[in-house]
Amino acid sequence: MKFFSQSFLYDDPWSIVSLAYFLRYPNPYASHVLTCDVISRTLTPSGTLLTTRLILKRGALPRWAQNIVGRAESWVLEESEVDPLGKMVRCRTKNLDHVKVMQVEEWVMFRHTPEGKTLQTTEARIRSGFGWGLTKKIENHGLNRFKANVQRSREGVSLILNLLRQSRLQTMTLGGAESLSSVLESPDRDNLTSRTSTGAWARLKSWISPPSPT
Amino acid sequence: MAHSLSSECTPLKLEYDACFNAWFEGYLEPAVAASASPTKREEYSRRNAAIFQEKCGKIWESYRECVQKAVKDKGLDKLLQQARDENPLTEPPPPPATPPEGSMSSI
Repeated sequence: MKFFSQSFLYDDPWSIVSLAYFLRYPNPYASHVLTCDVISRTLTPSGTLLTTRLILKRGALPRWAQNIVGRAESWVLEESEVDPLGKMVRCRTKNLDHVKVMQVEEWVMFRHTPEGKTLQTTEARIRSGFGWGLTKKIENHGLNRFKANVQRSREGVSLILNLLRQSRLQTMTLGGAESLSSVLESPDRDNLTSRTSTGAWARLKSWISPPSPT
Repeated sequence: MAHSLSSECTPLKLEYDACFNAWFEGYLEPAVAASASPTKREEYSRRNAAIFQEKCGKIWESYRECVQKAVKDKGLDKLLQQARDENPLTEPPPPPATPPEGSMSSI
């Protein structure tokens, strides 16, 4: 069994980092993500958002192991909790198939720091039950791949973060963010509604996910 | 492009994602303080849920129905159930006593 643990500090506030994290697919650093679906999503009475996503990823196993299991793709389950009041995101992922060959479990957390920055912690456990004298080899491969992927994943989030930042900056310059203060003063439905429809996401979506050709 | 696992559901997924993301951006910056009373917080949460329902409820229903059917058709429901029964997602394990990255051994 192999363990991995790492922290990273973003200079940006929690809300924008968390938004970028959830918008991270698709991005050019995540071309291995083939499909991504929300299979359940609920809002608890206290306001925490619970989401389960099912993701199909390409090439999680070493090539020779792909030949053994006969498939290059892997289903991954992602369960997340977002608590906007406590400013905390917790996200757990693991692969669902060929778990005997290799099971990778990952825990990611985004927390708000007192300085207004965002601390990301990533922990992972990589386990193989393959045997045949290959267990360690597979686990080492898994760990090395995981380390490289953490880097790529962060580059993907940073890219989306940059787009969001630019988009918000532009809005500020154009005076489009005026709704924010009015929302804070009178959080009624209409204000909230207009705020969501003029958010950075609305302006970004054509960028991030252009309409698919039909 | 992150498509849906079923090409049939992809248009619904894209529409749902766009709707959800717009709502989610506002959700991440709540117009209520963490120090507000539980009643106020719950009221805010209820209102937020109502806004979501009003704006995205329909497309969420259609998308979810489509995906649930696709998950069944592909036999993935068994895989999901198995994963939950045998090996539920848990808290991270306590960090090992020795730094993990230095403890790699080759065979």
